[in-house]
Amino acid sequence: MKSLTLIACKEFSDRFRSGWVVACVLVWLGAICLTSIFGLVQIGRIGVQGYDRTVVSLLSLVQYLVPLLALLLGHDLIVSEREERTLALLVASGVSRARVLCAKFAGGVLSLAFPLLLGFIIAGTVIALATRDREINSFLWLAGSGLVLGIVFLGIGLAISVLCRTRVQSLVAALLTWCFAVFAFDLIALGMLVSLRSPVAAHEIDVLCDPTHVNTVADLHAAYDAPVGERDGATVAKRAAALSWILANPIDLFRAVNLSKQMPTHVPPWVIAGTVGAWLVFALGLSWWRFRRVDL
Amino acid sequence: MSAYLHFNSIHKRYGRVNAVDGIDLAIARGSIVAVLGPNGAGKSTLFGCLLGMLQPTRGQVLFNGAPITDAQRRGFGYVAERVALYMHRSVADNAEFFAKIKGHTADDARRQLERVGLAPYLDRKARQLSKGLLQRLGLAIALIGAPELLILDEPFNGLDPALLDQLHAILKEEHARGATLLISTHTMSAIEPLATHVAIVLDGKLATFGTLDELRRIHGEQSLEKIYHRIAKSRGSVAVQNDKAVPPINGHAYEAEGRATLSSARRATHSNIETGVDAQRRGEDTAALPAQLVHDERK
Repeated sequence: MKSLTLIACKEFSDRFRSGWVVACVLVWLGAICLTSIFGLVQIGRIGVQGYDRTVVSLLSLVQYLVPLLALLLGHDLIVSEREERTLALLVASGVSRARVLCAKFAGGVLSLAFPLLLGFIIAGTVIALATRDREINSFLWLAGSGLVLGIVFLGIGLAISVLCRTRVQSLVAALLTWCFAVFAFDLIALGMLVSLRSPVAAHEIDVLCDPTHVNTVADLHAAYDAPVGERDGATVAKRAAALSWILANPIDLFRAVNLSKQMPTHVPPWVIAGTVGAWLVFALGLSWWRFRRVDL
Repeated sequence: MSAYLHFNSIHKRYGRVNAVDGIDLAIARGSIVAVLGPNGAGKSTLFGCLLGMLQPTRGQVLFNGAPITDAQRRGFGYVAERVALYMHRSVADNAEFFAKIKGHTADDARRQLERVGLAPYLDRKARQLSKGLLQRLGLAIALIGAPELLILDEPFNGLDPALLDQLHAILKEEHARGATLLISTHTMSAIEPLATHVAIVLDGKLATFGTLDELRRIHGEQSLEKIYHRIAKSRGSVAVQNDKAVPPINGHAYEAEGRATLSSARRATHSNIETGVDAQRRGEDTAALPAQLVHDERK
C-alpha cells in the first residue's frame, strides 16, 4: 500500500511541477467564468448567470474538454516511463505490476480531479457571490458527473498507454479515440439509425447525438417523456433504445444525466452506475490484461 | 538442497528470435557470478526474467526453491546497463523515492549516496549528471537496504580507473557482508579479480558454468579472456575474424558498424551469421569479408 501511495503521489507531484495542474485549474476557471458571463450573449445579455443557466451553457464545453484532458493525461501514464525505462526499475524494485498500474491510475485521477474540482469550486463561489443564486445542485451535479466522465476517459487513456509502444503512438491513439467518442460516434449512430428508417430512432439521435443543441434537446426530451402512468410498450421501447446509446458512449451518459436536471426526464441510477462501472472495468481490465504480460 | 537462485530452464522468444534458449543455472548464496557473452547473447534478458521486467516464454526463476515473488525482489539491488532514473528529479529525490519504495528510510538513501561519493551532488537534477555520476547514483540506489542479491548489468562500461577501483571496493565490501553478486560484463579484466564463478552465455544458451579455478583447470588457460575465447570458438558461436576470435570487450563483437540498437544489432548478427555461413558453404574465404561475423553451422 505504501508503494502505491508513493507512486501515486509522485505522479501528481510530477504533474504539479510540470505546470499541468495549474494550467488545468486556469482552463477550468476561465471556461466556467467565461461561459457564465457570455453564455447568453446571443440574446444580448452579458453578465454572470445563475447556476442552471451556467450548467446549460457549460455542458457542451465539459463534454468536449474533460475527455480530451483525461485522454491527454492518461495516454502517457505508462508508455512514457516504459520508454524511459524507469518502469522497469520500479518492477525490479519489487513493486508488483498490479500496484504500478493502480498507482498510476490513482495518480492520474488526482491530477485530473484536483484542477477540475478546484476550478468548479472557485467558479461556483464567484457565481454565488455575483448572482446570490442558491440553487447549486445542478452545478454540483455537473462537476461530479464531469469528474466521473474524466475518470472513465482516464481509464481509456491508461489502456491506450499500456497498449502502445511509444509516446507518439499513444498520443495519436488518444486523439483518435477522442475524435471518435466526441464526433464520429454520433455520426455513426446517426447513420445507423437513419438507415433503420425509424422515427423513434431519429428522435433518439436528436436527443442523444447532437451535442451542440442543448436547449433543443431539452425541448425534445420534455415532449418525449410521457408522464408516469401513461407509459405503454412503445414508450418503454423508446426509453430502452435511448439507454442502449447511453451505454455505448460515456459522453452520451454525461449529456443525458445533466439534461435530466434541466427537464423532466430521468436516467435510472442503475444505468449510470452500470455504464460507468462497465467502462471502468473494461478499460482497467484491458490495461491489466496487457500490462501483466508486457515486457518492460 | 535447493539452490539459492535457480534459473530453471528459462526460454525467452522475441518473435522468431530465441533470446534465451533453455538456460538452466543454479547459483549458490554468497557467490560472485560473472555472466559473460557478446552483445545479444541473452545476458540482460536473463536478468530481466529474474527481476520481473520480462516474462519468460517458458521456465521460471526459483529463489530458495520457490518461484520468486515481488516481496523478495524488494531485497535485491539492481543496476541497469543504461541507468534509467527520473531525470527531472534531484539525486536525493531519486534515491529517497526508491528507498521508500523498498521500505527503507531517506537516511538509508543518504548513507549510500555518501558511500558512492555523491554527497556534493544531492540537489543536482539527475539529467545534469555526467554518465559516471549517473552510474554512481544507480549503484547507490541498488545498495540501499543492504540487498542480499545484487544484480549489475554491464557495470564497468565507461568507468574511469578511479571509479572502477571504487566500484571494485564496494562490490568486495558487499560480498564480504554476505551478498550474492550477479554481474554481466564484457570487461573481463575488471571482473576476473572479483568473480568466484563464471557463466558464459552464447546465442541464448549456457555454454559453460563453473568456478574460475575449474575453468582454468579444464581449459588450461589462466586468463579469463582466453578461456572465454576458447569456449566461444569451440562452440562455433564467437565472432571470428582472420581465424581469431573477436574480443567481446566493449560489446562490438556482434554489432554491425553504425548500428546502435539491440534489435538492429541482433538482426545484423543473424544476417551476418547467415552471410558467413553461406560464404563458407560456397568455399569462399570468410576472413576476407569486412568485419564479417562468421559462424559454424551447429546442426
